[in-house]
Amino acid sequence: MSEAEITMSAGQGAAMEASPYGIQSKKLTMWLFIASDAVTFGAILFGYSYLRAGTPNWPTPFEAGSIVNGVIMTFVLLTSSLTMLGAVIAAKQGRKSACIQWLGATIVLGIIFAALHLREWFRMFHEGWSLSNNPMGGTTLFGATFFCITGLHLMHVISGIIALVVIAIGYNTDWLDAGHVETTGLYWHFVDLVWMFVFPLLYLMNVGR
Amino acid sequence: MEAKHEPTLAGYVGIWIGLLCIVGIEVFLTLMKLPTHELLASLLVLAFIEAAIGLLYFMHLKYEKHILLWSLIPAVVFVLFMMNHIWPDAFRMASMKVPIQ
Repeated sequence: MSEAEITMSAGQGAAMEASPYGIQSKKLTMWLFIASDAVTFGAILFGYSYLRAGTPNWPTPFEAGSIVNGVIMTFVLLTSSLTMLGAVIAAKQGRKSACIQWLGATIVLGIIFAALHLREWFRMFHEGWSLSNNPMGGTTLFGATFFCITGLHLMHVISGIIALVVIAIGYNTDWLDAGHVETTGLYWHFVDLVWMFVFPLLYLMNVGR
Repeated sequence: MEAKHEPTLAGYVGIWIGLLCIVGIEVFLTLMKLPTHELLASLLVLAFIEAAIGLLYFMHLKYEKHILLWSLIPAVVFVLFMMNHIWPDAFRMASMKVPIQ
C-alpha cells in the first residue's frame, strides 16, 4: 500500500501527515510486538544458556537418530513460511481464491508442526522426562527449560494457526483486507524465525557426543 | 512506500532452499561431534544468518523504508547484547563443579 493510499484510508478528506515508516499502523504495531517478543524469547534462551553453561551434569538426551523429528519439524515450519508468502502475494494481487488456498496450506502445515511437536513431547514423557524429572539422572533443569521454551513456542504456533483461520475467514468474506493477511504473515514468519534458534540450541546442542 | 521490487514466489523458493541448506549444515556440524563451544558458536552464527535472511526477505524488511529497520533492530540487538552480563556468573558456577539437582 502506498503512502497516499494509507493517508486516504484514514478517512475521506482527511489531511494527515504521511507515516514516517510508510506502512499501515497495524503492520507497525505487529513489528513492535515482534520486537518485544524477540526480547522475550531472547531472555528465556539466555536463561537456558546460563543454566546449560553453569551446570556440569547437564544431560544430552537426544541421539543422532532422534533429531530426525526435529529436522522434519523445521522443514514443515520453513515450508509453511513459503506458503504464507504465497498467501501474501496473492492477497496483494487481489487473487482471493489463491490466497485462501495458500492460507489453508499454511494452516495445515502449522497443524502438522504442532502434531509433530506433541508427538515428540509424548515420546519424552513416555521415557520419563517432565518439568521436574530427569530419567538419565543429574539435573532436572533440562526438562524444565526444554518444555517451557518449546511450550512457549508451541503456544505461539497454535495462536498463529487460530489467527490464520480467522484471517482466512475474514478475507474470504471481505471483512478483512490484504493488509491483515500481510500483518499475520509477519507474525507467522517470526514464529518460524524463533524456531531457527530453538532447534539448534535445544535439540542439536543436546545430542549426545 | 514500497518503491523496491519484491521477489516473486519463485525467488522466495530459492531463499527457502537456501534456508533448508543452512539447516542441513547445522545437522551436519552436530553429527561431526565438534567440541561443545565450537558447535555452539557455529550453530549461533548459522542461526543469526537464517534470522537475517528471514527478516530481510520473508518479513520484507529489506523492501520497507530503512527507518523501520533502524528503529527496530538496533534496539533489540542492544537489549540482547546487554543480557551477556550473565556469562561470568554462569562460568563461575560451572567451575565450582557443584552438581545442580
